[in-house]
Amino acid sequence: MFKARRIIMAALASGYCLAAQAAGPRAEVVHWWTSGGESAAVRKLSEAYTAAGGVWVDTAIAGSEQARSVAINRIVGGNPPTAAQFNTTKQFLDIIEQGLLNNVDAVALKEGWDKFLPETILNVIRIKGHYYAAPVNIHMPTWIWYSRAAFKKAGIANEPKSMDELFAALDKLRAAGLIPLAHGGQSWQENIVFTAVLANQGGKDLYLKILRDRDPAAINSEAFKKVLLSFKRLQSYVDPGAPGRNWNDATALLITGKAGVQIMGDWAKGEFSQARQVPGKDFGCIAGFGANSPYIIQGDAFVFPKTNNAEAIKAQLLLASVITQPAIQVEFSNRKGSIPIRTDVDSGKMDLCAQEGLKIMKDKSRQIGNGETFLNPDQNGSLADILTAYWNRNVAVEKVQKDIAAALRN
Amino acid sequence: MNQAGNALRSRRKRRLDPARIGIYAFLVSAALFFLLPLYIMLVTSLKPMDEIRQGNIFALPLSVTVEPWQTAWSSACTGVDCQGIRGGFWNSLAIVVPSTVLSILLGAVNGYALSFWRARGAGLLFGILMMGAFIPVQVMIYPLVQILAALHLFSSLPGIVLIHVIFGMPVMTLLFRNYYASIPEELFKAARIDGGGFFRIFVQLMLPMSTPIVIVAAIMQVTGIWNDYILGLVFAGRDNLPMTVQLNNVINTTTGVRLYNVNMAATILTSLVPLSIYLISGRWFVRGIAAGAVKG
Amino acid sequence: MRAKLRLLRRKFVPYAALAPMALIVLVGYLGTVLWSLKVSLSSSRTFPAHDFVGLTQYARLFGNERWLQSLENLALYGILFIAACLVIGFLLAVFIDQKVSGEGVLRTVFLYPYAMSFVATGLVWQWLLNPGNGIQQAVRLWGYADFQFDWIVDQDKAMYTIVIATVWQASGLVMAILLAGLRGIDEEIWKAARIDGIPTWRVYLSIVLPMLGPSVGTAFVLLFTAVVKLFDAVVAMTQGGPGIASEVPAKFIMDHLFGRANIALASAGSIMLLLTVIVLVAPLMYARSRVGSRKGSK
Repeated sequence: MFKARRIIMAALASGYCLAAQAAGPRAEVVHWWTSGGESAAVRKLSEAYTAAGGVWVDTAIAGSEQARSVAINRIVGGNPPTAAQFNTTKQFLDIIEQGLLNNVDAVALKEGWDKFLPETILNVIRIKGHYYAAPVNIHMPTWIWYSRAAFKKAGIANEPKSMDELFAALDKLRAAGLIPLAHGGQSWQENIVFTAVLANQGGKDLYLKILRDRDPAAINSEAFKKVLLSFKRLQSYVDPGAPGRNWNDATALLITGKAGVQIMGDWAKGEFSQARQVPGKDFGCIAGFGANSPYIIQGDAFVFPKTNNAEAIKAQLLLASVITQPAIQVEFSNRKGSIPIRTDVDSGKMDLCAQEGLKIMKDKSRQIGNGETFLNPDQNGSLADILTAYWNRNVAVEKVQKDIAAALRN
Repeated sequence: MNQAGNALRSRRKRRLDPARIGIYAFLVSAALFFLLPLYIMLVTSLKPMDEIRQGNIFALPLSVTVEPWQTAWSSACTGVDCQGIRGGFWNSLAIVVPSTVLSILLGAVNGYALSFWRARGAGLLFGILMMGAFIPVQVMIYPLVQILAALHLFSSLPGIVLIHVIFGMPVMTLLFRNYYASIPEELFKAARIDGGGFFRIFVQLMLPMSTPIVIVAAIMQVTGIWNDYILGLVFAGRDNLPMTVQLNNVINTTTGVRLYNVNMAATILTSLVPLSIYLISGRWFVRGIAAGAVKG
Repeated sequence: MRAKLRLLRRKFVPYAALAPMALIVLVGYLGTVLWSLKVSLSSSRTFPAHDFVGLTQYARLFGNERWLQSLENLALYGILFIAACLVIGFLLAVFIDQKVSGEGVLRTVFLYPYAMSFVATGLVWQWLLNPGNGIQQAVRLWGYADFQFDWIVDQDKAMYTIVIATVWQASGLVMAILLAGLRGIDEEIWKAARIDGIPTWRVYLSIVLPMLGPSVGTAFVLLFTAVVKLFDAVVAMTQGGPGIASEVPAKFIMDHLFGRANIALASAGSIMLLLTVIVLVAPLMYARSRVGSRKGSK
């Protein structure tokens, strides 16, 4: 009897071994998608990768800076992951320069990334002709959300269609005793508000001149001064408890009808759906003012640390290919609150706001990158410092212009 | 006669005179201040998110729910997996126990050597060590990564234990050195005369007298290492990630939804291990261990 | 001959015992500081660059408003935090030592903040101190309509809120250290004082406190290291705000190390921080070593 058991165990074991060997390329992926909705989204990626024959090994690390610094430390320490999440910005330029990333040219060329990826994303992943990252999604950080209940209470019948109408709406909200602008006083949130004003009031040309060209003439111009003044004016519509507040708590003010408007990225949809609120019915989303308002693009991408291991390279290429497929893109973005990196997808299953975003994306002239796609992390940080000081203190606008010119100079 | 008088006086002191009331009043008010955040955490952890969104942090839950606690332990999302924070529990134990024991041992030996034995250059080394305690941890990570990689210890359990020993050394050495500084030198000299060597005296004389400070050291190290996040994350390797990594994945997020009730429950659950150390250690906060030795 | 060997071996043992410490200090600490120094003199971004730019980073540091504000904040914070923790910790230890009933429970109540991750407790403090729905709102609802407690959103007072929250977290540990020290004091002292009729508070101030010297010294150094490394509390409570009102050097350094991908500036910051600490602490340590850290050598 024992002999039979031992034979069975041996058979099982060897079968197991065979199965393990037959299992496909193993990809250890470092990312920072850890909350409920994000987890559901990344699970779609891992399921797709497994279905394509791979083995997904998950190393989730909350906090984007933590995750990136761990990825870099592991690369330096000689124990790199197969893929690591970064943003589609200049964050990984230094790593490329050090020769520490593999490229995925094979997949990019075969699947024609040049044809369907937005220009702004191509500019950050294609360096010197090689493709160093696989983009996963596109987030738009400057949506204008509003609570329909609050608007009703303040007697605002229509969505604001311009900056002036926005200020008028904010005034009405204040008169109705509500918090006009729900805001969390953290420097990155102030940066978002600034970017929204620059895009909507300044327009695409001024935006590019300031953030892409860093043109001193544009920075010191009258038009930019007006943008800064509008930015500061928005601060007067914020409640006293705003400093330090998490963005989720600001969205909660909209959800509970205590505040009217929030300027936040499309990830805010997650909070609304958690509270079982529906776009169009409970809350509204405005991508921008005017038919040609810029659609600001930021997003996530996987980079592939350098390795000469053939199995790992196979895994990297398989991953790059899987996550950029249209069907997977929709599944991921639906749960993440983002929109796919390509417009040739079936948008039927996407929510109202995402559909609107995708529609705008199809107009290439409206695509514009986030500040971080043009500025390196240090410049972006310095700009954020100046903006947050201006938001919180009484600084002359001319001084702000001078400071920004100085910060963006190098 | 004097002793009886003393006994009477000390017994009388136990009754509630104004001084006694004052003591209790102070302690109770302090306790209330200390307990306030815990109250908020508990109350938040028992509320559904809809109530939390209303923003009344002091209010008791209208509909009590223990679901956040269950979620925190076993089904909160921490990445692709949604297994809650329990995953890293054994890893944390595997890291905490050797790290605490080794760092306390080394700290005690260092403190003892610095306090009683005049080794040349030891004072200077100690000075540099103490300066090292002021350097923010993150600044040291990059060079340490390279050192550990050179030693083939990067991303391993021995590696993270070594890291915790390194980072714990300043404080542990300081604790024991200052503690041994208050032990009279006569004791030590007597032991030397009796023929004791370095380790003999340490094991047979110093260690037994060190119980209170070992308790404090254990409290600090268990708390610090159990709650450590960044060092475990960088140096432990994927298979040894401590519980704090899962905890951070539950609590922290950049653009994700925040479930505050689950976060509070998860934090309290994680802190139960250091808390139980505090409770157990009570037995050893007793009087007169060193004093007894002096009299003898 | 054998006696000589034994003597040599005896002299050697302490050095051998201290060898791990020596190794860790020289390679781990000194090596890291020297590496930081080297990087701070370069133009490194995400990775160390091997060039030399002299003191450019330091010049940039001292022209940076955030850095200067953070130093100012740290000085203010340091004094308040250390003083408050020592006083409160001492009082708690003394009062608990009075043979109160429920000592174990009380001790745990004062120590539990230390056990909890500041990411969550810091958020709770942010909620508590928020003027909209925290303590200010609660007291107003009780009827004191003019009560104001909005320090956390005030440019000038935000640092005080960090003091409150971190004192809450650290006083328990100071209490534990001082309690351990108190428990090591000979019972005879109290008996003698009682016989002499000295009031209890006098005993504490003039006799016990000096005897607690080493324990207070330990607590002081621990608190000082916590001050210099202050980071989690600021991130959890105010993110350095409003604006840069509660910025601290450790956060400045961390932001530049990772978020801004500028390890040269971050290293310059940490070297400056270390130098400041050395300048402040070295005279103290020198004075202590002169007086002699050992008692009992009558």
